[in-house]
Amino acid sequence: MTGKPIVQIKNIKKNIGKKAIIKDVTFDVFAGEVFGFLGPNGAGKTTTIRMMLGLMSITEGEIFINGYSIKKDFESAIACVGGIVENPEMYKYLSGYHNLLHYSRMYKGIKKERIEEVIKLVGLEKRIHDKVKTYSLGMRQRLGLAQALLHSPSLLVLDEPTNGLDPAGIRELRELLRKLAQEENIAVFVSSHLLSEMELMCDRIGIIQNGQLLNIQKVDEFLAEEKTTVSATFTVEPVSKAKACIGSIIKSKTSAVKNNQIEVEMEWEQIPEVVAKFIQEGIKVYGVQTATKTLEDKFLEATGGSEIA
Amino acid sequence: MLNIINLIRNENMKNFRVVSTWVMVAILLLMVAIGGIITKTTSNSEGNKDWKAEISKQNEQFKSMLSEQQGLPKAVKDRYEKDIKINEYRIKHDIPPVETNTLWGFVISCIGIIAIVSLFTIIKAASSVASEFSSGTIKLLLIRPAKRWKILLSKYISAMLFAIGLLVVLFSFSFILGGVLFSFKGASHPYLAFVDGAVVEKSMVLNVFGKYGLACVDSIMMVTFAFMISTVFRNSALAIGLSIFLMFTGGTIVGLLSKYDWVKYILFANTDLTQYIDGTPLVEGMTMAFSIVMIIIYFAAFNFISWFNFSKRDVAA
Ligand SMILES: Nc1ncnc2c1ncn2[C@@H]1O[C@H](COP(=O)(O)OP(=O)(O)O)[C@@H](O)[C@H]1O
Ligand SMILES: [Mg+2]
Repeated sequence: MTGKPIVQIKNIKKNIGKKAIIKDVTFDVFAGEVFGFLGPNGAGKTTTIRMMLGLMSITEGEIFINGYSIKKDFESAIACVGGIVENPEMYKYLSGYHNLLHYSRMYKGIKKERIEEVIKLVGLEKRIHDKVKTYSLGMRQRLGLAQALLHSPSLLVLDEPTNGLDPAGIRELRELLRKLAQEENIAVFVSSHLLSEMELMCDRIGIIQNGQLLNIQKVDEFLAEEKTTVSATFTVEPVSKAKACIGSIIKSKTSAVKNNQIEVEMEWEQIPEVVAKFIQEGIKVYGVQTATKTLEDKFLEATGGSEIA
Repeated sequence: MLNIINLIRNENMKNFRVVSTWVMVAILLLMVAIGGIITKTTSNSEGNKDWKAEISKQNEQFKSMLSEQQGLPKAVKDRYEKDIKINEYRIKHDIPPVETNTLWGFVISCIGIIAIVSLFTIIKAASSVASEFSSGTIKLLLIRPAKRWKILLSKYISAMLFAIGLLVVLFSFSFILGGVLFSFKGASHPYLAFVDGAVVEKSMVLNVFGKYGLACVDSIMMVTFAFMISTVFRNSALAIGLSIFLMFTGGTIVGLLSKYDWVKYILFANTDLTQYIDGTPLVEGMTMAFSIVMIIIYFAAFNFISWFNFSKRDVAA
């Protein structure tokens, strides 16, 4: 990683009552990267974010932001963080502008021009003087983003920011986050339960399930791996002979037999070899179909296939 | 690190941009206006003219009672003697008595409306903390470089400013309306106090402010209580309901229990400081100093519980 670590999360645990919600999570987020925090509902994404932002105490472990401990040096640590936790809930009876004014007063030296600047950045110029209760969820997300960016933070923490956005809005958000990371060298931490959104937005993805971090991977590695492993379906006869034949070439764990079809997970490069072998053995080959494993499949695989933990 | 003034400005902004605040101000003005109109229409201004004859008749009654009934308790006797002296002073110096259909009389009669100010302040105070939790805005409020106790303090100060604002409105409006309805001529009338057997003239404005101040002690304690409940339960309905319930029933409960000595340790037995000025203490042996100490202890305890809950507990809203 090129940047310096903005967030350092070291072996954090969280127990609520007797229940262990977060079980030993460790990772870093670097300046200039968009880090995706992916996990099914109830995995512990929001709980981790609450601890990062000092809303919840940390049962065990430490979180540092820009080198400041969120436990011991809260004010210094939080001064360089902007965020949204769950829904962007703001004062409904105030206008968008007054909400921003409210938050701007909680930092040192935010000028009126900066407020105007972030309003323009999130594209809320037309409705900023309307009461927030008249805003759509998408507009509230934009306002949420505006309040998070007011003080030019070095870390942006967004909890499921694509909720309520339409496809165009998601795309805009994606571009904005990439721009903030690349041009302003901000560390962006985004959580989501939807992998499809993450793969286009993030540089790295960490998968969390049941309070445990399963793995962290660069998105391009994720995608590269995807090309090499495929799921191949051979329509052949006789099936039993073909199965034995495949077994002699590759050690595949997953092979399903259905009528006259065999489904195998294997390397893309090995398909011709298998077909040649079939013909050599006198097995009739009626068809070969391949399907690349989507990230979605990988994600479901990694999380054990259950959406709700 | 952060200027608390800015936090207070924020709380004031949230306070004043919500419609309910202005409804409260309107209700307050309306109550004073209705009081004024009722006083004006029911009192006959004729009676005022020969107040001298009236109070000298009153004095004769007091005197005859003092001479006829020897067995009167001392407190009652003292009271009559004081009233007689003050009435004589009024006749001598031409200072009419404070009736409700005079400027100051009306202002003083409106002091009862402070209970409404307390009520409104409790509602504001309780919801200023609890509504942040119920609406979820607490999360975006607390992820700022401001210590939690400072945010709580700014809410507390803002609630007090709201109360003071309402009191200023109450006083000014009752003074102006009193003047308009019953003439401003009475404005310069002094307050007659009875000190060590002699009548002394004192400033009426200071006397009224003193009465406001005493009435405020009760309000401050209820607001502090409301803050405590709303930081503990994080629920406005509960905090408002419980505080108002205690505000209206506290006195009655204490009254019912007054035969027990320990009742003097209950907050509500102590908040009414006027019991030491013109009345008898609830439990014999209670003094102003005792009550003030009790009030301070409760005040510190309530604030500690509020601070502890607001600063230390997880925010899961
Ligand atoms: N205040 C709480 N008390 C008890 N359990 C909680 C609390 N908050 C969250 N949880 C539990 O912790 C787990 C993780 O929740 P959360 O962090 O909100 O998940 P996510 O944001 O990934 O959907 C869930 O099983 C949830 O039920
Ligand atoms: Mg969540």
